[in-house]
Amino acid sequence: MSQETNGALSPYQVIDLTAEIGGLSTMVLAGLGADVVRVERPGGHPTRKRGPMVREDNDSSLYWAQMNAGKRSITLDLDDDIDRERLGALCESADFLFESDAPGAMASRGLGYGDLRERAPQLIYVSITPFGQTGPKSMWAASDLIGHVSGGLSSLVGDPDRAPLRPSVEQAYNITALNAGSAAMIALHARHLTGRGQHVDVSMQAAMANTLGNARLYYEMDGIITERAGGARAFANRATRIIYPCSDGYVAFVRVPASMIRLHKWMTAEGADPQFDAERWAGIAIAGDNLPSDDEIAKLESEIEGFFAAHGAQALYESGQHFNVMICPVNTMQDIVDSPQLNARSFFEEVDDPALGLLKVPGAPLKMSATPWRTRPAPMPGQHNDEYLSRSPSQRELPKAERVLPDTGLAPT
Amino acid sequence: MSSSESPGAHVFDGIRIADFAWVGVGPNATMQMAFHGAEVIRVESSHRPDTFRSGGPRPAGDGSLDASAYFAKFNRGKRSVAINLAHPRGAEVAKRLIATADIVTESFAPGFMERIGLSYEEVRRIKPDVIMCSMSMEGQTGPHAGFRGFGLTLQATAGVTGVTGWPDRPPVGTGVAYTDWVATHIGIIGILSALDHRRRTGEGQYIDLSQFEASTLVLDAGVIDAANTGRVAGPLGNRDLRYAPHGVYPCADDHTGGDRWIAIAVTNDDQWRCLAQIMDRQDWLESDALCDAAGRLAAQDALDEGITAWTSQQTVDEVERTLQAVGVPAHRASNVRDAHEDPQLAHRNHWWTSDHPVIGELSYESPPWRLSDTPPPMPRRSPLLGEDSEYVNRELCGYSQEEFQQLMVEGVVE
Repeated sequence: MSQETNGALSPYQVIDLTAEIGGLSTMVLAGLGADVVRVERPGGHPTRKRGPMVREDNDSSLYWAQMNAGKRSITLDLDDDIDRERLGALCESADFLFESDAPGAMASRGLGYGDLRERAPQLIYVSITPFGQTGPKSMWAASDLIGHVSGGLSSLVGDPDRAPLRPSVEQAYNITALNAGSAAMIALHARHLTGRGQHVDVSMQAAMANTLGNARLYYEMDGIITERAGGARAFANRATRIIYPCSDGYVAFVRVPASMIRLHKWMTAEGADPQFDAERWAGIAIAGDNLPSDDEIAKLESEIEGFFAAHGAQALYESGQHFNVMICPVNTMQDIVDSPQLNARSFFEEVDDPALGLLKVPGAPLKMSATPWRTRPAPMPGQHNDEYLSRSPSQRELPKAERVLPDTGLAPT
Repeated sequence: MSSSESPGAHVFDGIRIADFAWVGVGPNATMQMAFHGAEVIRVESSHRPDTFRSGGPRPAGDGSLDASAYFAKFNRGKRSVAINLAHPRGAEVAKRLIATADIVTESFAPGFMERIGLSYEEVRRIKPDVIMCSMSMEGQTGPHAGFRGFGLTLQATAGVTGVTGWPDRPPVGTGVAYTDWVATHIGIIGILSALDHRRRTGEGQYIDLSQFEASTLVLDAGVIDAANTGRVAGPLGNRDLRYAPHGVYPCADDHTGGDRWIAIAVTNDDQWRCLAQIMDRQDWLESDALCDAAGRLAAQDALDEGITAWTSQQTVDEVERTLQAVGVPAHRASNVRDAHEDPQLAHRNHWWTSDHPVIGELSYESPPWRLSDTPPPMPRRSPLLGEDSEYVNRELCGYSQEEFQQLMVEGVVE
C-alpha cells in the first residue's frame, strides 16, 4: 500500500462498495489520506454513466470525478464466487468497509457483517441505507427525494402555495454520507478501546430528521406544526423573510435585532435615506410575543427591498459586510467558481484525471496544518487491480485495468 | 440503551475539549464526542450568551438563558463554565483550562481569539500537542475572512439556496440553518482524524475549517460542472434530471391538520410499470414513448397532472401504503409531527428523552447512526450556564477557593 501521503488517515484502508448514497463519505476519508479502494463491477461502476458529463460522450462523468477523487479502483464481480472470496480476503486486512445495499443483500452474498465479523474482527463495517438495517420501513423503496420527505425537512422548504421541496441537487444522499464519515471516525476510536471493529448502521431518514433545527422541538413542547414559508425562516408560527431580490439576482438577509442599527448606517452611507426607526427595531425580536403588526413589518421589508433592488448581489455583500450586516449573495455555481474568497484561499485545484484530462476541482473542505488534505483524481475502472488482487487465492487470470468503458446498459443504482 | 458501563461510554475517556464555539456547528460536533465520554466544557458568558440560549422553544414566560430547548439540543453531555473573555483576566482563566485540554474549538469571527491572547500560537505554547479547530464562516484568511453570517444566510453563499425553489419563481432556500448540518461533520471528521494522528505521532495541529468551503461538498457535481463546462445548475422544483415522474403530489385531507403531500420517485422502468398498474393507466402501460426515462422526462407535465388527479382523491396513508407494497419509492412529506411520531424513527429509538430542571422533560435527536458494540449511554442533560464553574476553576484550573471567590467578585467568572 502506498504510504506516500502524511494524511491524518494514511495508515487506514477503506473498501468502498457504496452507491450514490455513500460515495461522499469515502471521498472525504481519501482526502484525509486513507487508502480508499473503490470496488467496481467489471465494466465500471454505474455512476460512471451519471451526468453531468464534461464531454459530449457518455463516458466523461464529472459526478464520478467529484465523488471518487483520491480513490483507487479494483473490479470485482460480486455475483462470482471467486471474486467474492477475493473481497473477503481484502477485508481481512482492511480497516473499514462502506456499503449501501438493501439490508440483507450483502449477507445473501456471504459478505454481511455477520459473515465477516469472525474473519475480519478489526473491520469497521459501515452500512448506509435509507431507513436503517431493521424496522418497519427498512425495506421500503427510496431515493434522495424520499430521504428529504421522510425526515421532515421538505415540510419546511418551499412556497406555501405549492408542494414541499427538496434542493435540486442530491442533498439527502450527501448529508447522510457525511454522517457516515463521522460515525466511522467514532468507531475507529472505539476500536482503539476495544480492539475490534463493529457494525455501524446509518439511516438517511434519521440524518435528515436531524436537520429540522428547532421546529420539531416546537411541536413537542408547544404543539406547533411549523410550515414552509417560502424565502423565509419560520420561527414556530411566525416567519421572517430571508430572500430579497437585487439588481442582478437575490441576496439573503435576516432582520435580526442586532443588525438594524448597522443596516440603517449602511443605507445612510449609500445615500438611501432610510425612514425606519433603527433604535426601535433593534429592540424587537424576530420571533416570540409582542411582535409589530404585519403592516409595520411589510413597510420595513419594502424599504429594505427598495434599497437592495438598486444594487448587485456581490456589491451588496462586500459593502454590507463592511458595515457588519449579515448579508449574503444567493450564489450560483458559477459565482462559487469565481468567488474571490475561495480563490484567495486556493480552494480550487487542478488534477490530471486519467480519463478526462486536466480538471479544475474543488479542493480541501478544511485546512489541517500538520496533515494537509490531498486532492487527487478519480481512478479508471480496475486501475489498481494488479496492486490489490495479486495475492488473490485464485489462479484465474486477473482482470486487467480497463481503459474503455463498455456501456453496461444498467440503470444507475 | 446501554449503561454507563458500556464501552461506548468510554471511547473518548481522558479527552478534554475546551469548547469556545457557539451556536450550531461547533457545539453539534463536540456533542457527538461528549456522548462517548469526552469531557466537553462549554466556555460561555452571560455577557455574550450563545445565540441559542436566547432562542426557543422554552417554557412559557421563562426568558432565562437556561430555558432554551434549542440550546439543550446541541449541548447534552457537556459541562459549562462561565468566563467573561472580554474581562482583562478572562484569558488567564481560559489559558489555565486550555493547559488541561486536548482539543480547543472556537467559532468566533477570525481575529477574536488573537485579540484576547488565545491564538493558536499562544494555545500551542500552553499545550504543545493541542488540536485546535476554528470553524468560521469563510475561513481564517482571504478577503472575506471577517464576513459574518449563520447557517440561514451562509447557505446562500454556499450555493444551496440558489438551487432550492421553483424554476419560475425566486429561490427560497431550505428555511433551516442548512449548512450547519454539513460543516459540523467536516468538523467531526477533521478533529477525530487529527486526534488519531496525535495518538500515533504525539503531534497536534491547527484546523482552519471554512463553513463555506465545507458546505460546497454537498452540491454534488454542481461546482465541478460549472468549473469545467460553465454550466450552471438551477432550481428544478422537485423534478430530477434523470428520473420521471419525480415529485411531491397533493393528497386528500386526512383531518390531521395541515396539507398532506406524497413524494413519488420513479427511478427505473419496473417502478414505472408498477405505478401505472396501480393507477390503472392502461394508456401509460401501453405507451412505447413512456417505457423509458427519456420518454417520461419529455412527458412529465402530463404525468404530473395524471398523478396529481390520482393522489388527490386518496389520503396520504393510502397512497404511501399502496405504492410501497409494489416497490415504488413513495413517502409522505412528513411534517414535524410525522417525524416526531414516525414508526421507523421510533423503532430506532431516535428521539432521546432528557430531563432538565428548567425545561422539563423533552426529547432530542440522537445520532443517525447506531454502533453495534459501543452504543453511547443516554447523555447527561445540557448544562445550566456556568453550572460547572466551580469544578472547572477549582479542579482543572487549580484556583484555591479564595482565588475562585475573588474571580467571581471581579466578574471574571460567573
